[in-house]
Amino acid sequence: MGIRLFKEPELEKPDLICGWPGIGNIGLIAVDTLKGGLVAEEFGEIEPWDFFYPKKVSIRDGLLESLEFPTNKFYYQQLRRKDLIFFLGEEQPTEGESVYATGEKAYQMANLVLDVAEKFGCQRVYTSGACVSPIHHTVKPRVISVVSSDKLTEEVTRYPNTILISEMGGREGEGVITGLNGLLLAVAKKRGLESICLMGEIPDWLSGSPFPYPKASKSVLEVFADILGIRVDFGFLDKMVAQIEEIVERLYEEFPLEIKERYDERKFVAQAKPGGITEEDAKWIKEHIDEFFKKRGEQGGQSSV
Amino acid sequence: MNFLRKGVNRVDKALFEIYQSPRLPKPYLIVGWQTRDVGKLSSKIIHFLNEKLEGQQIAEIKPSGFFPLGGAVFKDNLIQVPESKFCACQKNDLLIFQSKEPKYEWYNFLNGLLDFAQHYCHIKELYTISARPSLGAHTTPRRILTVYNQPEFQKMLQGYGLEDMTWEGPPAISSYLLWLAKRRDIPGISLWPEIPFYLAAGEDPAAIKLTLSFLDSRFNLGLDLGEIDSEISNQNEKIAQLREEDAEINEYINRLESGLSLNEEEQVKLAREVYEILEKRD
Repeated sequence: MGIRLFKEPELEKPDLICGWPGIGNIGLIAVDTLKGGLVAEEFGEIEPWDFFYPKKVSIRDGLLESLEFPTNKFYYQQLRRKDLIFFLGEEQPTEGESVYATGEKAYQMANLVLDVAEKFGCQRVYTSGACVSPIHHTVKPRVISVVSSDKLTEEVTRYPNTILISEMGGREGEGVITGLNGLLLAVAKKRGLESICLMGEIPDWLSGSPFPYPKASKSVLEVFADILGIRVDFGFLDKMVAQIEEIVERLYEEFPLEIKERYDERKFVAQAKPGGITEEDAKWIKEHIDEFFKKRGEQGGQSSV
Repeated sequence: MNFLRKGVNRVDKALFEIYQSPRLPKPYLIVGWQTRDVGKLSSKIIHFLNEKLEGQQIAEIKPSGFFPLGGAVFKDNLIQVPESKFCACQKNDLLIFQSKEPKYEWYNFLNGLLDFAQHYCHIKELYTISARPSLGAHTTPRRILTVYNQPEFQKMLQGYGLEDMTWEGPPAISSYLLWLAKRRDIPGISLWPEIPFYLAAGEDPAAIKLTLSFLDSRFNLGLDLGEIDSEISNQNEKIAQLREEDAEINEYINRLESGLSLNEEEQVKLAREVYEILEKRD
């Protein structure tokens, strides 16, 4: 189980920004877009074989050419205001059937990521993910934050379009950030590092859909841009947002009128309050989405060699 | 995790039950998997070799950490025990490993397998045996498709009538093992004999014979494959009778023989009818 560093850049107290897949891939897309926009350079990886199964084999003319595993890579960039380390994981390590990290392997992965971060003097860690909210899909998603200390609560409320999770209400002050986007923060806190999770809102009825939700990624990215004092090119993300909006609108257009009316109340009521639609409405929407994607066809199972 | 690898050159004996020290000078390792065993080819071949070459179980990989042990699986009224066994065929210098695919920790399991084979038994080559369904008819000659992990080894095995495979997609456990062997500089080959899809749920003695013939020739085993010949004739007769009795089935097989394809419904029907006739008349 190891870390491979191809390069040891000289960094000054870099912040670590991590992204893993999750609901709507909100965090992963935000962090990947930021990393790409800053042209961050790859400098290391976590060896994947202890955590993941290989995902693809390439065989040509009888010769086994390669076996591909999900990647887990470190990148760095030095900005005027801040040095940064990025970590992007293509999959979350898990010991069960869940797609989110669980068990000993997740803990090991979190520690390996932080080992690298601390080696370069990191004192602050950001992760990003999704916050499932009773919002309307036309509303700009807010960024919901959870932090490791009271001191940081003041800081995050100064970020644009950002609130603390306690301001959302309806959770009795408790909750879970599933997977490594949450676990990493806990391990970081245990190590005495500052940690901040920035979660983009996704409408509850879209949280189980198979497509990403880049609109929320954009909200998160805007916050990162503010924190780092940089300008970000949102061109690619905007195109992605437009494509997904088209699909979401098509789904929405198929809502029965009475559900649509109740759901549309969300445009005007405080987003913190669950409501607009009933439990029955939610059930109908979920089944409708499943049906929608079933109709679009599924690829058959593939054999393996 | 109860298995911690302690370096490439050491075998962690806590992973194994070792019953006998292997007395194999420099064996070939043959690996067969009982999971997703198309046409039961792998199980049949391993059983045949162990029986005819007097394979003795010398060790096993303990199931803990690799297989679910929360209860016992049963199939056809029988309790199933996860077994991952090494057998030694001393006269022929073969080390044979047979197992179900582990449910967890493939990387550690396969490295354990290779640790034992490489550092404890000093194997010189690896052969994995699996099978894959083909869309051909049972009356056409079988082929063995192959994957090598070293070009030199590929050259060395030219002349055995094997056919090179080209493929991209999800890896089977055999490919994973082959890749790990490559990293250890162990020459390896995966044998993928083709089995007509409508024999995949049962057995295909023709593919079994072809694969055994290759192993026989490669390792000079002196196997008598006569009993398999009679299984082949027997199976062919039954299918021929089915073709006579059922014009639709006959037409499906005719189409396959002419290189034409069947739709999914036709494939399912052919596979079901053939399976039933072979099972019923056995």
